[in-house]
Amino acid sequence: MGNETRRKNPRILGVVALIFIIIGLYWGLMHAPPDAYQGDVQRIMYLHIPSILTAYLSFFLVFIGSCLYLWKRERRDDILAYSAAEIGVLFTALTIIEGSIWGKPTWGVWWTWDARLTLTAVLLLIFAGYLMLRSLTEDESRAASSAAVLGIIGFLDIPLIHMSVYWWRTLHQPPSILRPDKAPWENIHPAMLTAVAINFVAFMLLYFYLLSLRLRLGETKDQIKLSRLSRG
Amino acid sequence: MAFLKQAGLLLAKDLRLELRRREILLTMFFFGTLLLFVFHFSFDLAPEKVLEMAPALLWLAFLFTGTLGLAQLFQSERDNHCLDALLVSPLDRGAFFVAKVSFNLILMLIVEVFVMPLFWILFNLRSWNLMPLLFLITLLGTAGFCVLGTLLSAMTLRARARELLLPLILFPLMIPVILATIRGMEAVIRSGGLAEGAPWLRLLVGFDVMFLTAGILMFDWVIDN
Amino acid sequence: MAAWGFVFLAYAVVWGAIVLYLLSLKRRLSRAEAELARLRSTEEVAIDAKK
Repeated sequence: MGNETRRKNPRILGVVALIFIIIGLYWGLMHAPPDAYQGDVQRIMYLHIPSILTAYLSFFLVFIGSCLYLWKRERRDDILAYSAAEIGVLFTALTIIEGSIWGKPTWGVWWTWDARLTLTAVLLLIFAGYLMLRSLTEDESRAASSAAVLGIIGFLDIPLIHMSVYWWRTLHQPPSILRPDKAPWENIHPAMLTAVAINFVAFMLLYFYLLSLRLRLGETKDQIKLSRLSRG
Repeated sequence: MAFLKQAGLLLAKDLRLELRRREILLTMFFFGTLLLFVFHFSFDLAPEKVLEMAPALLWLAFLFTGTLGLAQLFQSERDNHCLDALLVSPLDRGAFFVAKVSFNLILMLIVEVFVMPLFWILFNLRSWNLMPLLFLITLLGTAGFCVLGTLLSAMTLRARARELLLPLILFPLMIPVILATIRGMEAVIRSGGLAEGAPWLRLLVGFDVMFLTAGILMFDWVIDN
Repeated sequence: MAAWGFVFLAYAVVWGAIVLYLLSLKRRLSRAEAELARLRSTEEVAIDAKK
């Protein structure tokens, strides 16, 4: 069985991810200078940007996995969609928490109904619903098909939600003095850019490490089911 | 042609059944009216303020009554394994979907046709002339609700606690429709015409067309094994 | 100085949550693998018994 080699690969991935995380922490917290306007709070961005990108990647994988599953009916595509959704929800929630902790000292509030924040919160709700649908449907194959359709619909809905919340904010509120939808670094220090890059790589490695573990969990559960079925 | 004929037959079946029992329609209508009373007790507002809030309050009522209706949408198929019988027959799944959407849409529109004037009466609103335009927007929004709601209702058919699950997955996906209808209606109330709310209307039409197509194409996977 | 408080809060929450998720994932995985191993071994016993 190829099980042994596959068991080793994620471990190496995990170690490499850990190294990058430590370098990223050092670079983000110590090496990079504080932002000219926001001061040290801006260091939260070294977590915030990588986590939202990771979440987007995750939901894109849910979409890909869902499409492939409906097309080819391979179990592994369904497991991919389920796993990516679970990790995506985690990273979206973390993104919102980081943004909130950053927003309090920067904007003076924990939460504001800015278009981008709203969109992220809606994404979290949609894919949390996806996970609930999966956990509440007993019949495995039916849960997989329904969830795949939901994964596709959720993804198709994102541009519409995006459009509607942006119109809603722009038609109703003049942009505030410190525009939250504008990138917070206009004159960016190279060390800051490096910090973002390192942390981005660290999050990607961590993401694929977590995903590989979660995929193996899904496959193992499938094998348990098969083994039970064969015993009758 | 066969597609429309099948859809028509299924729709006629559902309508005839509902005409005899009147269960869903009556509960929806009663609940909608009840919500208007609850709103009236909750917000003690002057008439001119109420007109501003009318779109939001009306749509809250429609969303809740609609959810009530959706929970019952596939009940007649669930009973006595009718769904299995339907699926064994050489029936176009897309036609089945269209029939269910239209049935749901008809029920909701009937409720809305009564609830909306009732809102005007209970809150002493005077601008009756706006009602046709407001109803047009409501029609588009309700179509979006029914299309997506029917699809998700079929999705949750085999889930535990499906009545609780359905709004949890439906409402986040409905946010474009909720925003577009309420903002569109507000634009009509502000300006008296459709021009100001035109982008919202286009968004609604886009939503309706997109998810109707997606539903027709994907209903097969949702309802079948 | 208050800024650093927010920074540490954010970093603590994020890494704490990720570590917790990783640990729960590992626990779920090891449980599932143990169960699979148990099922496989009893399966073999059953096959041997039939022979």
